[in-house]
Order: sequence, then structure tokens, then C-alpha cells
Amino acid sequence: MGQPDFDAIVSAHHGEIHRYLRRLAFRVGEAEDLAQETFLRAYRAWRTLGPDANVRAWLFTIATNVFRNHVRSETRRRTAHATVRATRTEREAGGPEEEAMAGEVRTITEAAIARLPLRQRLAFTLRKLHDLEYEAIAQTLECSPESARAHVFQALKKIRISLNGHLPAVTEPER
Amino acid sequence: MSGKPPVCLDLEPDLVAAATGEAGAAATERVRAHVARCAPCRDEYAGYRAVDREVASLRAGPGDDAASTAARERLLARLADVRSRLVRYAVFDSPLGPILVARSEQGVSLVEYLGPDGVAGSALARLVDVEVVEDEADLAGLRAELLAYLAGRLTHLDWPLDLGLVRSEFQREVLRATAALPYGVVTSYAGIAGELGHPRAVRAVAQALRRNPVPIVIPCHRVVGSDGQLVGYAGSRVGLKEHLLAVEGVHTERGGRPRVARRALYHYEENDAREYCVPTCGDIARRPLGRVVLFAHRDAAEARGLVPCTSCRPDLHPLP
Repeated sequence: MGQPDFDAIVSAHHGEIHRYLRRLAFRVGEAEDLAQETFLRAYRAWRTLGPDANVRAWLFTIATNVFRNHVRSETRRRTAHATVRATRTEREAGGPEEEAMAGEVRTITEAAIARLPLRQRLAFTLRKLHDLEYEAIAQTLECSPESARAHVFQALKKIRISLNGHLPAVTEPER
Repeated sequence: MSGKPPVCLDLEPDLVAAATGEAGAAATERVRAHVARCAPCRDEYAGYRAVDREVASLRAGPGDDAASTAARERLLARLADVRSRLVRYAVFDSPLGPILVARSEQGVSLVEYLGPDGVAGSALARLVDVEVVEDEADLAGLRAELLAYLAGRLTHLDWPLDLGLVRSEFQREVLRATAALPYGVVTSYAGIAGELGHPRAVRAVAQALRRNPVPIVIPCHRVVGSDGQLVGYAGSRVGLKEHLLAVEGVHTERGGRPRVARRALYHYEENDAREYCVPTCGDIARRPLGRVVLFAHRDAAEARGLVPCTSCRPDLHPLP
């Protein structure tokens, strides 16, 4: 009864949703559980979707909610500081020596993203790393498209400040 | 940043947008004209361009690699498990009162007339090791068909069934034989027992049909006592059976216990010529049901390959 359709949804979107949650999650392995929960929730509700629904944006919304609930329960146990440190240690662990310089900029960028207030971090990740439309981000974060845009703008400013002095100058005047 | 001239502050959102590929043509043009003559904003712009490139380099990873593939495999296995245990249901108002319909992945597993306790008192509440979800949207199609059936606009509910709640192979056989009874046809418990090659298992057949998990869809209401009595339906709610038969054109006579009004039905008793009769043909109306099968309409008889009797001529003298 339409079950193969849902398997098709998993095939089409699991990779990206899993990647999104890996970006957000604090620990390796956590993302898999969060992605699983996302798709199990989606499975229970997907028949109520209209035929014209944007399945991808809908899955991002569910994944975001799953993550936010997770953060809420997680912050009861951990401090934000310990979390950021854990993230950095894990990500630094595998970096090859020869990529140290590029790796440093990347690490700073990732740390700057990890330090963003949650809504800015979500808006930034959805827009800049997953190309979601501002309309969809606004629905996910339950705000207006203008605030979604403002969150991304604030996030970029903070990342820019963190990277001050770490980036080679880019001199071309436009793309 | 507070030291910036107002014009630069005003332009900042556009500048960030332009540097990160999000500005429209007009804003891009404004930014380009401004940075051409404002050195601090030129640096800002260059800085955001660098941020944009750095962010772009993050887009690729973490990739759809082995960990992700393994995670997807585990998810699909988990989904298959959830799916096999998931039961979706809805409760419909109907002329027969509230009816609960539930279905699993395989098909409809339960059709139940709800009592005063509603869902809490239903067979659904007694299921173990399943996850039960109310899902009206999912069952909306079945609802429409069921209501059309009860209104006589649909003569067959062609629903995939899940008979997982049926415990014995014998009950399964009884249900299969009953499911094969066409619209407007009536037989007896003895008739089903005989058909299955267990002519003495009349009570067992009656028990099996009493426990039919999907009444209406498997039309156990078309099976009555050998004397035509509407015995046992959904507990003791013979009125429901009467209603369902009436929808198909099979009427009952009152006075004592309700029984099928044979004088208004065509009769068939097995014969080589495969002829069916009106009830006044010889003593056919006095033979027990089961040996005799009843038809509400000539169409129903003829659809089964039967022909009008050459003595009583139901084709020339059809029942009113």
C-alpha cells in the first residue's frame, strides 16, 4: 500500500539528511540515530502530505525539530562549552599533516559555526550548506523569511570576524 | 563597525549578500559602484568573498560515504520492522453505527462494529506487539467505499486483506469459502461445511464466522441457519445482518426470529442442467439451505452460469 514510495523517499533523501545531521550533531554516531528518528517520524506522517508537497523541505523541518529536541535533552546533561570542545577534538583528530594550514582555516570556520546561536546556525546550515529556499527555512524555524535571511546574515558576519587574519586576501572585485 | 559611515552601514546587508551570491542584479550593481570608491568596504567585500569560498568548501563533506550507506541500510531494516508492526485505523460513522477499520502493510486486518466503549473496547486494544496509529487520511478511500457499499452503490469491496488475526487454518478455509459468496447470494453454515468437505463441522463453521475479523468485506452475513434463521452476528446483533442482507435485496420475514424470506428469492439445488427455480417449483422451498442456495436476483444466478428452470420458467415469471 504505497510502501515502496517511502523507500524511494529514503533513497532519495537519506544521504543529505544524514549529512545535515552530521553537521549539527555533537558526536559521531549521534547523527545516525537522529536521521533514523527523522525518517521514522516522517514514515508515520507522510501520507498526510499533499501530492504537491516539497518532501525535501519537509524532511529538513522534521530533522531540524528532531535535532532541537535532542539539543534540549542534551543540554540538561552537558554544558555548551564542553560540547564545542568535543566537536573540535573529534574533527581535528583525523586531519593529515600536510593539510594543516587549510585544515586550520577549516577548523576555525567549523568552530565559528558551532559557536553560533542555534537558530543562526540552523538557518546558516540550511541555506549555505544545503541550499534551501528562505521560504522553506522560515517554515522550518517558524519565523518570517526576512528573519531567516537576517539569521544567515548574522551568521556570516560572525564567521567573517572569526576568520579575520586567517584568510588570504581575495582581490577580485566580483565573481 | 560602529565607526562606519552611515552609507556603508546601510549597504552592509547588500554587500554581504552580493559577496555570497545572494543579491539581485540591482543590489549587486549598487555594491559594485560603492566598493569601487570605498576602500574599507572593498576589504569587507573581499573578506566575505573569502568566507564564501571557505563555506563552499564545507558543502561537499561529510560525504555520502560508507558510514552513510551503512546507516541507510540500518534505517531500511528498522523501517521494515516498524512497518510490519504498524496498524493504521480509523472509525467511521455509518448507518450501522460506528465502524472501526484497521489495516496493516498487507491489507485490511480488522472491521469492527464498535460497542459503547469505543476503540478502548475493540479488538485493536487487545493486539500485542504492534504499533497502532489513528490515520483518517490513510483510510479515507476505504471509508468512501464502505459507505458506498452500505448504500448499495457498490457491490464488492475489493480490499487486500491481512488475515493475520485468524488463528487456525480451518477458520482461514471457512473465510475463503465465504469470501467467494457473490453479492445477493445466501447459503447456510451446513452449506459451507459441505463445500469444505466437512459436512458435520457445522458448528465449527459458525464459530469461525463468528470470529470473522473482517465482516462485510468477507460477507459472513450471507451465511444463515439451515432453516433460514439469521443466527449470530457480531455477538447477537442480528439487526446488522438483516440490514446488510436487505442492501443486497435479501429480505427477512419477522414473526418469531428473523429469517430469510425464501418466497422472494430464487433457489438453486445442484442439478446436471444447472437450472435455478422460483420457490414454488416443486418442494424446493422446503429443502434445507446449504443444499439449496438462494439468489436475490436472476443476474446473480446467471453470473454463476445457472440457467432458468424449464418447468417453472423464472425467466418468464420472475419474482416481484
